[in-house]
Amino acid sequence: MALTAPTGEWTDEQKSLRKSLSQHFEALNAGHLEDDAANRFNRDKWQLIRDSGVIRIPFAEQWGGLGHDVLTLVYVLENLGYGCRDTGLLFALATQVVSAAIPLQKFGSDDLKDRYLSRLIDGEIISAHAISEPNAGSDATAMITTATEDGDEYILDGKKIWITSGPLADIITVYAKTGTAGGAAGITAFLVPTDTSGFHVGEPIEKLGLNTCPFCELEFRDCRVPKENMLGKPGAGFFILEHVMNYEILCIFMMMVGEMEERMERCIKWAKTRQAFGASIGSNQYVAGKIVDMKIGLENSRKHLYDTARRFNRGRSVTTEISMAKLITSEANVASALSAIQIFGARGYTREYGLEKGLRDAIGAPIYSGTNETQRVRIASMLGL
Amino acid sequence: MDETTQKIKAFIVEEFMPDVPVEDLDDDFDLLTGGVVDSLGLLKVVAWLEDEFDIGVDDSELGPDSFRTVAAIKAYVDQARETAHAE
Ligand SMILES: Cc1cc2nc3c(=O)[nH]c(=O)nc-3n(C[C@H](O)[C@H](O)[C@H](O)COP(=O)(O)OP(=O)(O)OC[C@H]3O[C@@H](n4cnc5c(N)ncnc54)[C@H](O)[C@@H]3O)c2cc1C
Repeated sequence: MALTAPTGEWTDEQKSLRKSLSQHFEALNAGHLEDDAANRFNRDKWQLIRDSGVIRIPFAEQWGGLGHDVLTLVYVLENLGYGCRDTGLLFALATQVVSAAIPLQKFGSDDLKDRYLSRLIDGEIISAHAISEPNAGSDATAMITTATEDGDEYILDGKKIWITSGPLADIITVYAKTGTAGGAAGITAFLVPTDTSGFHVGEPIEKLGLNTCPFCELEFRDCRVPKENMLGKPGAGFFILEHVMNYEILCIFMMMVGEMEERMERCIKWAKTRQAFGASIGSNQYVAGKIVDMKIGLENSRKHLYDTARRFNRGRSVTTEISMAKLITSEANVASALSAIQIFGARGYTREYGLEKGLRDAIGAPIYSGTNETQRVRIASMLGL
Repeated sequence: MDETTQKIKAFIVEEFMPDVPVEDLDDDFDLLTGGVVDSLGLLKVVAWLEDEFDIGVDDSELGPDSFRTVAAIKAYVDQARETAHAE
């Protein structure tokens, strides 16, 4: 089956860009369960991602980008999520697009762009972003990693944790406290090459899912970064992070919509063919009802994400909308993954079918990109509560 | 007090300082250092500015100083209106 086209007017160029990724699906999926079992980031597949040009989509042509907007990007990514079962690889891809290149394009100096942007959007150098700390997760503004001004440099000191692609990265956007200002006002973002003296990258930390994309701890001890590596203004880190998180949620969660659609199609096919009590299991309303809920969950997610992407594309703030879209999609995906296992019975519980991996991968989403609890807190606050 | 400043003060007081009379809020009072407006508060201010003054908020220009005081917010609104007018 092919992925349902979302509502909206799409140009031939957008359509062909979206379709062009389909040619890579088979190669992207080859051996993905083995890579997952071995916790292996697959460099050959990264090369395929690079060759596909998907990282280039939202960047200016001047830097080797394709010059498209965020709506085009998510439209294309939805198809990639549909066809590629290596969710960890897709997580690394989204991290590559949003962690350094997006803030660099929007907030970085021309000199910094000259140095890094083309290589980032080519995928030649891998990027990550470091916000979370051992004692500051949901409350990111409580971070204690400091960046202290010293002549032409800032000196970074502190620890970061759970950094997606950290073990692979050549360059990391590090959010740190500058000056004494508390809360959001004191956070500044820096682009820091991982080979900078005083920058220590930890070993991959084993986790439940997304195993083809490692995460790790980082430590900065007297790590000197030139002032030119600052993104935006001193203290603007919070706004940069907001912008990046909007992108991150739109990219990752739109791929999840594609994933949910593919999973639902598998379930429909299985429910029509698997027999029990002399009839297909899909003729049983308990089973059909699960698939109906999968359909509702994915369409609800798709609608919220596209509406939010359209609003974001028009330059409007999406504080409430992005939180709702993230919540709805991550919860729908966990529910969809659980239902699929149930519908496939013992087969669904095995490694071979890949559905248990779908669940393991899905469980991270209510935690990353702002936990679902903190998204609810945001929505409540926007409602004046 | 001009109308824009008046509106900004009324919003800040209603949302973040309900016990303070509007006339007691100085144009230069530091809203951030005093912890009156926290990170969620900043997002609220941004969304309100967009709605109230029908201005697009360009986040590439944003820094904490854009929202530190009522006077700074007013300057931000004026500039955003000017930019919109020029386009
Ligand atoms: C797969 C994955 C990838 C990640 N990648 C990155 C990355 O690339 N870079 C990075 O910086 N970080 C990354 N993170 C970290 C992630 O951002 C944090 O895990 C997240 O912000 C939560 O922080 P915490 O784990 O410290 O949980 P805590 O903040 O300790 O929260 C624990 C629980 O308490 C709840 N809670 C906390 N405060 C409240 C409240 N006020 N109201 C209600 N509930 C509350 C939380 O929702 C959560 O359920 C990643 C995490 C995962 C799982």
